Amino acid sequence: MIVELGLYRRMLGATVRSLMQHRVSFFMQLISATLITLVEFGALVLVLQRFDGVGGWSIGEVAMLYGFVAASFKLLETVGAGFDPHDFGDQVRLGRFDQILLRPAGLVTQVLAGKFDLHRIGQVVEGFVIFGVGVALAGVVWTPEKLAYLPLVFVGQMAFFAGLYLMGSTITFWTVDAIEAMNVLTYGGQEMMSYPMHIYQPWLRRTFTYFIPAIFLNYYPALYLLDRPDPLGMPAWAPFIAPLVGLALLLVAWRFWRFGLRHYQSTGS
Amino acid sequence: MRLQLELVRLAFRRHLAYRAAALAGLATNFFFGLLRAAVMVALYGERQEMQGVTLEAAITYTGLSQAVIGPLAMFSWLEVTRAVHSGEVASDLLKPMGYYGFWLARDVGRALATFLWRSVTILLAYVFMFRLLAPPGAKFVLPESLAQWLAVVLACCLAWWVSFSWRFLANVSAFWSPDARGIVRLAFIFSWFASGFIMPLRFYPDWVVELCMLTPFPHTVNSIVEIYLGLLSGPEILATLGLQLAWGLALCGACLLALRAGVRRLVILGG
Repeated sequence: MIVELGLYRRMLGATVRSLMQHRVSFFMQLISATLITLVEFGALVLVLQRFDGVGGWSIGEVAMLYGFVAASFKLLETVGAGFDPHDFGDQVRLGRFDQILLRPAGLVTQVLAGKFDLHRIGQVVEGFVIFGVGVALAGVVWTPEKLAYLPLVFVGQMAFFAGLYLMGSTITFWTVDAIEAMNVLTYGGQEMMSYPMHIYQPWLRRTFTYFIPAIFLNYYPALYLLDRPDPLGMPAWAPFIAPLVGLALLLVAWRFWRFGLRHYQSTGS
Repeated sequence: MRLQLELVRLAFRRHLAYRAAALAGLATNFFFGLLRAAVMVALYGERQEMQGVTLEAAITYTGLSQAVIGPLAMFSWLEVTRAVHSGEVASDLLKPMGYYGFWLARDVGRALATFLWRSVTILLAYVFMFRLLAPPGAKFVLPESLAQWLAVVLACCLAWWVSFSWRFLANVSAFWSPDARGIVRLAFIFSWFASGFIMPLRFYPDWVVELCMLTPFPHTVNSIVEIYLGLLSGPEILATLGLQLAWGLALCGACLLALRAGVRRLVILGG
């Protein structure tokens, strides 16, 4: 484990140094990625002002949802870029994953260290800033419990998205054609969790409660932070299972990944 | 002209080839439409309309915004940049036709194929599954007269031309800069906001709309949306189409000028 961590640090160093060889290109990427969040959230704020909130939630409250999930997903996209199903699919298709299998180091270590999307870091910061402004606008009453729980929610969300990445990557062992459909869960999940989830049609909400339990990761913790009553009538512990749900999904994804690895056949080219 | 038609045909066939990917993309588009429709319903709440847009029209808009993604290449288009950086441009420039016309023809084929695969299908999905997206009683909005249909078709063609021309212009920066990808990406990001792709322009404050109107972007998605949803009167429709045409001509001219300057400084390394 310690050896792997040391390896990860050295390989990651090499990856980041190679990023920095193309400095202009890197900063252009950083600027444009940062602009994406600004532009998207800017458009949302303008429209929310026109309509005076959405589904009974004020701009500040929506900003909390939007910012927090943006920060967690973008940070996962930064450190977990190697397992981005699109990118991982390319590795499999081009036979680079075979090289990784042959090297005497952990698979996950190598995949993670091989790609690091540092240019998304601006979006992580933006996410936190948007969340912070939202907290101020919404007038959250802080308690020690809330402060202590917040990092756990963040970890839960990262584990959730990591699980989706791992599942998507595993699917590419069999097919790379349908990988765009994974966007429904990753980008779609982020988009969905950016709004108060009671606004969605019941069948959609149930799918994202019982099948893919995204509702517990951002919406319910936000209800708790805001001391809002639960309009959906879930048990009282619903806001507190975010870390468990995230880690459980990651665990399932890990089992699927191991299963996929056992059945992996190279493309043979 | 026969040459151009052949290019259109080839590009069309090439883009019809990836059916599984198109299907997966379609699922993604529909899902995002679903989410955006739910947001519209929640935004409207008890309201009947906002800025002349009814809830029905707003939900229909979410379908239109997903339907334009393919033909207008809303997310990314780096073909010319790629051709310049790889050196392919050298052999393309030798072909007996202008470089702008060469890519124009190929983009017609690409747009037609994605129109069939992505736009028609997503709109049909919207029509048949509208119950999933909207409150009871709401219907997918359709143009009301033959004249309006005609205006929509015209607006779509002009929107594609404006879109292609700004995409080409941004790509031509590759003749100068090895970092053209970044420039193109920036143009795309602004286009999402200013074209009315993320949200209908009418929902922004007036001064923001006025700023957007200074760019070519609203003359793509927003023109189609406003004409399709019947938000404009007869003379306003003509003015919108006229502006689209003017932007198309201006951008086309800019493309040709930039291309002339770019080709003059192009150096191809042999090897």
